[in-house]
Amino acid sequence: MENAASLANVTKTFGATRAVDGLTLSIPRGQTVALLGPNGAGKSTAIGMLLGLIPPDSGTAALFGGDPEQAVRRGRVGAMPQEGGIIARVTVRELLTFVSQTYREPLPLDRLLALAQLTALRDRRVDKLSGGQAQRVRFAMAIAGDPDLIVLDEPTAALDVEARRELWASMRGFAERGRTILFSTHYLDEADEQSDRIIVINKGRLAADGTSAEIKRVVAMTTVRVTVSGEAAWLGRLPGVTGMEVHGDRASLRSTDPDATVVALAQAGAVRDIEVTPADLEDAFVALTSTEPSTGPLPTGPSTGPLPTGPSTGPLPTGPLAKENA
Amino acid sequence: MLGYVRLELVRSLRDGGYIIFGVVMPVVMYLLFTNLGLAQGDKHDAALFTMVSMAAYGALGSAFNNGSGIAEDRAAGWLRQLRLTPMTPAQVVAGKVVTGVLGVVPSIAAVLLTGALVNHVTLTPGQWLAIIGLLWVGTIPFSLLGLGNGYRLTGQTAAMTNLATMLSLSILGGLWIPTTNFPAWLRAIAEWTPSNSYAALSWHAASGEVPGLREVAVLSSWLLVFGLYAMYGYRRAGKTA
Repeated sequence: MENAASLANVTKTFGATRAVDGLTLSIPRGQTVALLGPNGAGKSTAIGMLLGLIPPDSGTAALFGGDPEQAVRRGRVGAMPQEGGIIARVTVRELLTFVSQTYREPLPLDRLLALAQLTALRDRRVDKLSGGQAQRVRFAMAIAGDPDLIVLDEPTAALDVEARRELWASMRGFAERGRTILFSTHYLDEADEQSDRIIVINKGRLAADGTSAEIKRVVAMTTVRVTVSGEAAWLGRLPGVTGMEVHGDRASLRSTDPDATVVALAQAGAVRDIEVTPADLEDAFVALTSTEPSTGPLPTGPSTGPLPTGPSTGPLPTGPLAKENA
Repeated sequence: MLGYVRLELVRSLRDGGYIIFGVVMPVVMYLLFTNLGLAQGDKHDAALFTMVSMAAYGALGSAFNNGSGIAEDRAAGWLRQLRLTPMTPAQVVAGKVVTGVLGVVPSIAAVLLTGALVNHVTLTPGQWLAIIGLLWVGTIPFSLLGLGNGYRLTGQTAAMTNLATMLSLSILGGLWIPTTNFPAWLRAIAEWTPSNSYAALSWHAASGEVPGLREVAVLSSWLLVFGLYAMYGYRRAGKTA
């Protein structure tokens, strides 16, 4: 079956900035895919090219195997850009009625209002709604035509926890219909919880692509913490260790093979207050998108910069997958 | 596209700027000018002449207001949202032009009705039809200029530019004060403005004269210029939408 969306080696440069740099990805129908990356990673540009809003400098963007603009004209795609679309002096019902009318086979209005949890707000002016409510109106505009694919650019940015929860409830209601969903986010938990597959991009390039479990496995950023006394540099040379930080007398070792690391620690008689923490997605994310890929030897000495406060905030070396793709 | 026009008209009718500059102000000014004896000449002639002036002024107000709406829509990300619906860009532009053309109707109607009902302006049915037609069709160049500004400039700047353009054209074109009261040099300039040619077509029709070729030529030239300007603005906006 044809892909719902694909980018083939697309590149886009704005002035001196290469926003998207040879990005290739394909999204089969029926998947819910998170496009994850830090601010400025090129997510919005990639989405803009997929939707036919931004012409790529080179490479090809396609929706359902054809020209994105054609897919939009045929009503096969609905989209929610990062911002905008909330206009003054119309009610929710008037706005959604109009948007629905532009499609050949739209969702019935009552159904649309229910899916987006807007039934009670139908006669309110859209510019008088709260941020979360307005976001659900924008979501409703994206699904009004009952499209095969919806593309949402940072749908929950700037929403509070409750509003995010409500929007995701709406989104799941739509996904249950077997539709393809592509959303970008810089919230890791969201990518982890809401998607079948995570595509991590950074600096306009693909950094990782897989389920959240796969990404964690590939990066394998388990942390082994141990209390040390005296010189600690040797810990960095233990099997599996790719980096370390020392905070007081506690050493945090980043390990791709925690079993081997712990065995080696035991053989050295250095097991003191040992603590093994599996990677969370945030570790993986930071590792995959750390701004400067480390090309020299991995850091083995105590860090000299400000000390990290936890496993998720420290500067981490680049993971193996990121290097493969760099 | 009809749905789009309907939505835009509903939005216009709820827009204070449109109601005030496009409908209320021209009627109020018309009543003031004619009933405080500010307009010269025979009472009926003054009521007739000023009726055309104020209808033209109101039509300019709503035509330019429609153009400012484009800048507002662009700032609100509405044009991009429309690009993500099955509507084609051409349909969106056509819809906005149609909205502008329909939006001037209440402005013209309000002043003409005030003229007929309050100031007892009497004209033959043919003259009424001629005035209505000329006042209506003649707004197209101004709609295009307003849209060009709306596409080319951003939100507040577009609104201010359109308002300033609308007021300058109204005053310079002799819609507020007849150009016969202008000094000669200013009158010479006024005769080249699109607003003066636009109103002159209906002034002639109202006094039973045939519209002058000169006015038709001047207004048509401006139509061409403003049409090109609107196209330029639209193309430029397309690159950043």
